[in-house]
Amino acid sequence: MRKLAINRLLERPVDEERARRFVARYGSPIIEGHRATFIWVGPADEVLLRHRVQGLPDPLTLRRVPHTDLWYVSVDMPPESRVEYQFEIVREGVRESYLNDPLNPRVAHGPFGASSVCAATGYEVPEWTLPDPESRPGELIEDGFQSKAMRRNKRFKVYVPARFVPLVQYPLLIVHDGDDYLDYASMKTVLDNLIHRGEIADLIAVFVPPGNRLVEYANHAPHARFIARELVPYLSERYPLLDVPRGRTLMGSSFGGIASFSTAVRYPDMFGSLLLQSASLVFTDIAFDHGGGAVFDPVVKFVNAYRARPRRVTDRIYQSCGMYEPLISPNRSMATVFREAGMEVLYREARDGHNWENWRDRLREALTWLYPGDQRFVYE
Amino acid sequence: MTTVLLGPQRFRLTAGAVLAEVAPDGVVATVTAGWRDREKHDAELDEVMGGRSHNLHLWHRLGHVLVNDHAFAAAAVAYNRAVDEANSLYSLRLTHALESVYATMRHTAREDLRDSALRAGLQSVRDIDAWYIWLVGELEQDLRTSGGMDSSEVVAQHRSEIREILDGAAALAIAGGHVGFLSRCLRLFDVTPPESMPVVGWSAGAMVLTEHIVLYHDKGLEGVQPAELWDRGLGRARGVVAMPHARRRMVLDDLDRNRVLAHRFAPARIVLLDDGSRLYLEGDGHLPDQARVIAADGTVTTLGEEMAMTNGAEGEHDRAAGRRRGPRR
Repeated sequence: MRKLAINRLLERPVDEERARRFVARYGSPIIEGHRATFIWVGPADEVLLRHRVQGLPDPLTLRRVPHTDLWYVSVDMPPESRVEYQFEIVREGVRESYLNDPLNPRVAHGPFGASSVCAATGYEVPEWTLPDPESRPGELIEDGFQSKAMRRNKRFKVYVPARFVPLVQYPLLIVHDGDDYLDYASMKTVLDNLIHRGEIADLIAVFVPPGNRLVEYANHAPHARFIARELVPYLSERYPLLDVPRGRTLMGSSFGGIASFSTAVRYPDMFGSLLLQSASLVFTDIAFDHGGGAVFDPVVKFVNAYRARPRRVTDRIYQSCGMYEPLISPNRSMATVFREAGMEVLYREARDGHNWENWRDRLREALTWLYPGDQRFVYE
Repeated sequence: MTTVLLGPQRFRLTAGAVLAEVAPDGVVATVTAGWRDREKHDAELDEVMGGRSHNLHLWHRLGHVLVNDHAFAAAAVAYNRAVDEANSLYSLRLTHALESVYATMRHTAREDLRDSALRAGLQSVRDIDAWYIWLVGELEQDLRTSGGMDSSEVVAQHRSEIREILDGAAALAIAGGHVGFLSRCLRLFDVTPPESMPVVGWSAGAMVLTEHIVLYHDKGLEGVQPAELWDRGLGRARGVVAMPHARRRMVLDDLDRNRVLAHRFAPARIVLLDDGSRLYLEGDGHLPDQARVIAADGTVTTLGEEMAMTNGAEGEHDRAAGRRRGPRR
């Protein structure tokens, strides 16, 4: 196997000119087979790589190429991996954090800003997540009402498919962290494309942003009441919705997954499916030392209670998690618990982390499983 | 009675030539309801028909009915929902029954015992198919009697207009597309061409001409899924399960699966319709020898070759017994 580019560079003395040519040629990160080499160029006393990949030391310390400002670290990067990362620099006692890789044009956006992206061999941004001029766009309609359950005005966006016909009954997809799914997971584009291609059924989706997310999504009775007793009836009066459990799906990622699952537990048999992405299904088997901090207390209490008495609360669950995130173990465990409680589970893992592009990339598989389109009917 | 089943027309256009052959003169009534909202985008089709097509516009007529007969529209919505629910129950039962058949095939046991178990398993699958077809038939009957499908004045008006067009047509051509909407539109508007009228259908249009419409898509996002009955067809082509786009949509090298498919729908034949396929079913409705079929042993062959092989294997015995070969099944 050929030596890594960085090792080939180090075979001979490196001066600033060689380092410059190296960086100009390879950029960062350098993907070679199963390895990724991250590069930083600049004066520093210490350079660290922050990545939040479970299984790799975090931070990773970069090594300096002697007599240059070139820093590097090589790590294992299995094919099809996708990792978000940033640098942390210490210089003359001053620490600079959250720096994106200036040598890498690839960035992912999220509610906390952008991060650099390391895409391993075989990973490509799925084409169905990109705008397709052939796809007829659905409409996003701003709406809202005064929620008694939440004691405030709740705003949301309703997605209506392009070929909307009032005489057809549509399934309803309720999306937690709605604005983030639209902004960072390209969800409107994804819906437009998948519906246009007949890969998923025409559906109505409601994108609901949270207020105080960490409270509302952590098994919060008023939130569940808002969804089940206010939002669904409100939409049912205004849109031709399929008025059966299998016509309703709750969806969310991270704490939004808990909001979806806990709402289904509180209102069993109302929702036919759940779409859970990297759900924060943290639990303890003994004592209560879960390590997630106070915001996780109600979540752990809820998940522990469910594990003590698992029951069927919906028909089908699409559950996914990134292999590189700390939530992988609880998700693996809960997939079995869900199955044994009598629910049909499609569980998927991706070589990715706890981020919006991971959740975006799983949407096609999730939605085609939950709401298959009419491809099997079409014989042109 | 001339019925012609054609393969997909996208890459090999044969419909125009076939229609010129079976109905050289006169109007060709066309159905493009499978194209749904693109139904009227049929200029190219009209060109292929030599400018003599008259589109029945069933999809747009359906829209008109739903807007103008609210009682029927409500009944149709309820019917659709009931069919969806029946279909999900059918899928559930079918999946488990087929899994049992495949598990039996893989099981190691004395051959005669395993064959017996297989036959019983296949019979269960056939029973589930029959139950589903019965069930959707009952639901349709409800729609006809209680839902106003046969008494709606709006529907009656459209049926009358369509009959008039058909009376003046030399042939009927049914294009592919969404087979569900296509079959529903044909039934709602009672499109029943007289036996003397040549009928040509391609892709979904060929499927609706058979007795039973079977859906399949082994290469979809969900992976290999069981072939499922959807509904009855017009029954013009008897003893045929039409499977257009076979190469694109089916995993044809899985012999076990093919065998199950062949036995499940027997005595009907699984007929594969790929680009360029052209099958003339004359008077007696028998398939021509060049029809590509899935044989009982799961192989893909032509009907002629299969008959030759069967005759070869049994011919000696038949000759010794002084028997003639029976009719094609």
